[in-house]
Formats: sequence, structure tokens, C-alpha cells
Amino acid sequence: MNALTASAAMATGRVQLANVRQTALVTARLRALWVMLLFVFTALTACVRIGQLGLFEQTPERTSLAEALLPSRGEITDRNGVALARAFASYSLWFNPKAMGEQGAPLVKTPEEVARALLGIFPDADYVDLVARLKAGKSCYLRRRVLPEEANKVFALGEPALEFPREEQRFYPQGSLAAHLLGYVDEAGKGHVGMEQVLEGRLLDPVHRGTPTALSLDARAQGALEDELGRGMLETAAKGAAGVILDTDSGEVIALASLPSFNPNRSDLAYNDLVFNRVSNQVYELGSTFKPITIASAIDAGVITDFAVRYPAYPLQVGKFTIHDSHNFGASLNVPEALIHSSNVVTAQIADKLGPVALKRTMEQLGMNERPTIELPARGFPLWPHGGGEGGKGDWARLTTMTVSYGHGIAVTPLHLAAAYAALVNGGIWCPATLYKVDPAHLPPGRRVFQASTSARLRQLLRMIVADGTGRKADAPGFRVGGKTGSAEKPGSGGYRKTSLIATFAAAFPMDKPRYVVIVMLDEPQATASTSGQRTATWNAAPIVGRLVPRIGPMLGVVPDAHHDVDISDLSPLVGSGEGE
Amino acid sequence: MMVSAHRFRSIGWIALLLVCLALVMVLAFRVNSLRSQVHRTEQQIIALRREKLYLETEVETRANQQQLKLWNDVEFGYVAPSASQYLSSERQLAAFAKSDGPDAPAPIRVASADDTVAAEAAFSSVFPGLGGDPDLSAPAAGHAEEEDARRSAKPADGAERVAAAANLGARLATVGALGKAAKDKPGKSGESKDGKKAGLAKAGKDDAARPGKGARLTPEKADAKPGSKPGKPAPAKSAPAAKPAKSTKPAKGGRPTP
Repeated sequence: MNALTASAAMATGRVQLANVRQTALVTARLRALWVMLLFVFTALTACVRIGQLGLFEQTPERTSLAEALLPSRGEITDRNGVALARAFASYSLWFNPKAMGEQGAPLVKTPEEVARALLGIFPDADYVDLVARLKAGKSCYLRRRVLPEEANKVFALGEPALEFPREEQRFYPQGSLAAHLLGYVDEAGKGHVGMEQVLEGRLLDPVHRGTPTALSLDARAQGALEDELGRGMLETAAKGAAGVILDTDSGEVIALASLPSFNPNRSDLAYNDLVFNRVSNQVYELGSTFKPITIASAIDAGVITDFAVRYPAYPLQVGKFTIHDSHNFGASLNVPEALIHSSNVVTAQIADKLGPVALKRTMEQLGMNERPTIELPARGFPLWPHGGGEGGKGDWARLTTMTVSYGHGIAVTPLHLAAAYAALVNGGIWCPATLYKVDPAHLPPGRRVFQASTSARLRQLLRMIVADGTGRKADAPGFRVGGKTGSAEKPGSGGYRKTSLIATFAAAFPMDKPRYVVIVMLDEPQATASTSGQRTATWNAAPIVGRLVPRIGPMLGVVPDAHHDVDISDLSPLVGSGEGE
Repeated sequence: MMVSAHRFRSIGWIALLLVCLALVMVLAFRVNSLRSQVHRTEQQIIALRREKLYLETEVETRANQQQLKLWNDVEFGYVAPSASQYLSSERQLAAFAKSDGPDAPAPIRVASADDTVAAEAAFSSVFPGLGGDPDLSAPAAGHAEEEDARRSAKPADGAERVAAAANLGARLATVGALGKAAKDKPGKSGESKDGKKAGLAKAGKDDAARPGKGARLTPEKADAKPGSKPGKPAPAKSAPAAKPAKSTKPAKGGRPTP
């Protein structure tokens, strides 16, 4: 019984054990199956995904090389490819008060300490403004354009709230060079003032903005012009200065400067009085620089045929008005002497013989009665003398003709004068000034104002003025400079002001085959020690040209040669000696 | 059997299809991986170009006209070149050359040859027909004239000079023969010989007294083509009366030793 019971019990136990084992095995198999299924599923998913990726998936946001490298705004270069304006990812200084979390102070140090440290890095920053911005706790720009080393210094302050996002901005590597020509781009990306405004459409057009736009400018000549003008302005304590270098044949503007200038890189500060362009926008009575134009017109019209004819040089009474010379040049002067000594009296007499019709026609043909032809948006309208008849469009009065002949009573921009001088020396063809690079094979046709023979005579006369006359200080050795000084008193309330002058020197070189016209103008130069106590162009504007031409000549392909010069042997015996304006 | 063959074929087709599929997959994968590589490379190019532009702009900014002017004012002090620093033509350049004055120092020589030998070699060719032996002198005369003309046009040919000097032996022998002949037949011919000899000596002296150009230029000229000149048959041409083997030998010596 016991045995039976025991065996039965054992059998039951074995059965139970077998059951347990069975269950455990089933469970294990099930689990293994699940795991296997999981693996299979994962593997299948992976395979499907690989297949999908390998076969169908396209690379996300594929952009072509050209598209990726296309600048946001086209580049502007000078005629030799030197970048003048370019879209450039530069650093900005951005204040992010939430950089250290929503809670707590946004800055590690106090706003005052941070502002003081920033002032150390950016000396021109406004301390009060910085503190106010840092305290306000709002995200904002602290500064728009930051140099990499400045960014490093700010980074060293250890403020996480000061960030440096790199943003595509307009950058002018040459700084304030040619600022008036280029203009600037505001924060909204809109061009202002110069070619940035003129070329707006092209610079933003995706088709064109990939290729740089070349201007007629030469950055080296521009640098030299600005440098010499700046020096002249400092030496004479002038209010301002302007200068332009023009290619005589193509009318290309090689350099154009108006001082004081502005920095287009600081577009936030750019919009002020300094953006005013004195070369193309401001009109001046340019004085004696008009005399060669009058003489050329008279030679062309056959009024001057013999250069030895002498004209009385005493003060000339015209109605109530008396025309004087700056000095007494003796009883009489011939034409070369009148130009060399810059005699108003003789020029007025020649203009009187020439008559108002011919002189006015010459001035009109030289574009003196309309805005200067150039692409810049800022172009000043000349003060054109009124004639008689209906609407002042008739002939000039006798006195008007006489004053215009020596550059008074007519106010034009220095650019007008540059284009006129180009026509005077290049064989008599007037060309519109342009800021675009001109292909030498496709020169603009221009219009004939003077005969070629007249132009040849003028080349001799202008060279004589520099060789023997008032322009001696502009005579750069070997460069055969020719030109004319002009010192005009500025009109003020109650007539002309004796001490406020516009000193101009209009030059061209080399005179045996003129390539470039250079106009230099100083606004209200003062009598200083460096100008020997003089205010006239002979002492301040002419030396600028004398220093400028040797700097730019070789760069522009004019080789100085002491053995070449324009032949003045037929005129030089006619000239005595003396001093003039 | 038929069924099994059919099945076997279909299995084969399926296998082939699978293999093709696998190959297509592999190809597609490779194409796409290559495409991503291209894309990555393009990205790199873009990044590098941007970096280049950045660095270029930085350099341009640091070296802008105003900055250069400041550096020049402070550091360099360069000024624009003056008219005297330009030359418009070769004539102007030649105008700088100085002719030898009476007390001028001797020209600097970078190599030298024995001038007297060279001069004698030259003068012997100036007077053809000296030789008593017509066989030797006649061809030498014709060539000497040629050589003289060439020398006046092109004064510097070192190898020829030296070769001529080497042929001196042969030429002197000719003179010696002439002397002998003169001794044998005194009278008219002796006078003429003396006179000519005096003339020759003078000419030789003159030649030796002006070694300047030829001697100075010689090594330079030879230097220009050291390999080709001496080895050329030019020396043999210059002295056809001499033995050709001899003419090449001194040519080696004509190699300049500056």
C-alpha cells in the first residue's frame, strides 16, 4: 500500500514535472520565436529601407555649384578686376538674452561692465546706448559689422549672450575709396547714392549677379587722387576738394573723388551730408579754366588767326561794370600771353569779337547747359546764364558773353569741365563721361565741337601755360602736362567774396598725345604757409596735379619721357615773362 | 523527366532573375553612393570657395589703397619713378655705354687666351699669298678673307680664334719656308719679304694692342653654347689649311674657364 501510494505519488510528481518542463519549453520556444520574428522584422525593415534609400531616395536639397556660390548681390570691380563691393558673410554682434536660459540674468557680469569692455573693443561705440540695450533684455544687434579679431576679443569676454552670427552683407574692401561712385547698401538691402543704386536691378538679377560688373575706375589711380586731394585739402585748410580723371578718347572716368568722404561699410552712419558729390552734383563758377574754351571757340570761328596780335590789357569798362585783371600785365598782351598770365580783359575782348552766338553754341555743344552726362543719380543742373528774348533763350547780352568767356556768370560741375577739356585736347570730339568700362574697339562716336587744328593749337597753348605760366607747379617732369588754373571768387550776399575762392586746375597729359584729363578743385582754400600765403590755384590746385600725375601716369600707361614734348617753338617767341592769376 | 526539366529550367530562370536583381541592386547602391560622394565633394568645394573668398577679401581689406599708402608713408617711402628711370628704346640704353678713353682701365676679363698668338694667327690670315708653297697658301688665303669678313661682322668667336691659334704652327712653317726661299733667292723678293714682315709685325701689334672687345666677348660667347660650339666643325672651317684632327683638339681648349 505504502509502496503503491508511494509509486502513485511518484508518478503524479513525474507527470507534474513533465508538464512543467513542457510548459517551460513551449514558453521558451514562443519567446525564441518572438525574438526571431523581431529580428526578421528589423532585418526586413532595414532591407526595405536600404532598398528604398539605395534605389529611390534623392539627395536632399541638391543645389548646383553655381547656385550655391551665387552671391546675394553682384560684385562690383574696377577696370582691372579689383573688388570694390562684394557680398560677404561678415560677423555681426548680436545680443541674445535667452542664451543662458529663461530664468536669471542674461549676462554673467553687470551690463555696465560688459558695456565698458565692449567700449574697449569698439572705441567709437556709444556707452550709454550699449548699457540701455543690454539692460532692456531684448534681442538686438549691438553692432552690424565686426572684424574677426574684434569678434575674438568679444568672445574672450566670456558672455554667452553675445553671439556672432555670420550674415551676408555688403562689404567694401577698399573702405571709403570711391565711396561717392559706389554708394552704399542699407540694412534692407537697397542701394543708395552711387552705382549701387544705378545697378540695383543688375546686381540683384540671378542671371547677371554671378559675374562681376566692371567699372571704368582704376582703384590705384583713385587711391592716388584721393590721397593727393586729401593732402592738398589739409595743407590749404579747404572746406572740401573734388577731383576727376577722365580718359580723353573714351570718356571713361578713371577716378572721381569728392572729399570729405564717407565709409560705405558703416551704412548706418552713411546717410549724411558727406554723401553729396562735389564732382557731379555741385555747380561752381570755375573761373579762368573757361578761358581756353573761349580761345578755342575763337580760333575755330576764325576770330583769332594771328597769335601775335596784341590786345590792350587795361581794365575794360562795359556799361557800369569794369573787367579787371588780377595784376597789371602791361599795356597789351597777345593771345598766348593772355592765357599764360590769365588775363580776363583780353579774353573778354576776344569773346566780344567772337560774339554771343558762337560762344553760346560752343558751350551748348560742350553740354554746359544740361546736367552732366554720367550714370550717377546725383547730377547737378548748371546755372546757365539767361539770354535775352522770350524765356531767356535768346542771345546773351554783351556783358554776359564777356563774363562767361572767363568762367563767371556760368556755374557748372567739375565733370562738365573735364568733358570739355577732353574735347579741347583730344582733337575736338566731345564724349559723354561714363562709369562703365568701354571696349577700345567700340568707342562712343561723340560729337565734333572743335576742329582738329584748333585742338592742336590748344594743346600747345595749354602746355605753354604749364611750362611758362600760372601752371608751372603742375609741370611733372617728363609727363608733358598742360592745363589752366582757375581761381574764382564765390558769390555771396552782396557780390563776390574776396577770401572764399574756388581754386581749380584743369589739366591734360601727355600733351603730345593727350590720354587723360585731370581736374582738381579746392573749395575755399585758405592762405597757409604751405601755399606761401596764397589762395589761388597756382599755389594750391596746380601742385596737387604736379604730385598726382607722376603717381598715376606710369600706372595708366603714360611713360615719362624728358625727350618728348609738344612742339611750341612757333608760339614761344611771342611770350614775354610775367606773373598771373 | 519532362516536368523535372521544365521545373529545372524555371528554377534556373528565377535564379538568373535573382542574380540580375542582386546585380542591379549592387549597381544602384554604388551609383547612389557615388552620387553622395559627388555631393559631398561639391559641398567641400563650396566651403573651400567661400573660405577662399573670405581670405581674399581679408587680404584685400588689409591691403587696401589707404592702408598701403599708410605703410608706404611709415615704412617704405617708395616714390613714383622719375622720367630718368625709363628708357624708351635700345638707343637710349646704348647711350649709357662709355667708349674706352685714353686712360681707361683695362676691361675686366672673365677668361683669357694668349692674345699674341691669337693676333698672329689673325694677321697671318690678313696677308694671303705669303707662303712660298702655293699649294698651302692659296686655299688658306681665300678662307682667310672669308674669315676676316666674318670676324669683323661677328667679332667674338672664341672657338675659331683658338683654333686659328692652333693652326699657327702650320702657318709659321709656311713663313719659315718663305724665309728659306728668300735666303735662297736674295734681292727683290727679300726686300719685299722684309717690308711685308715689318708691316705684318705692325699689324700684329695693333691687333694685340686692341684685344678689348674680341677678348672680352670671347668667353661670354663661348659660354653661351659651351656644348655645341667647340665640338662643331666650325674651327675646321676657319682653318681649312690645317689638319682637321688638330682643329678639333684646341676647340676643347677653347671652352671657357671663367
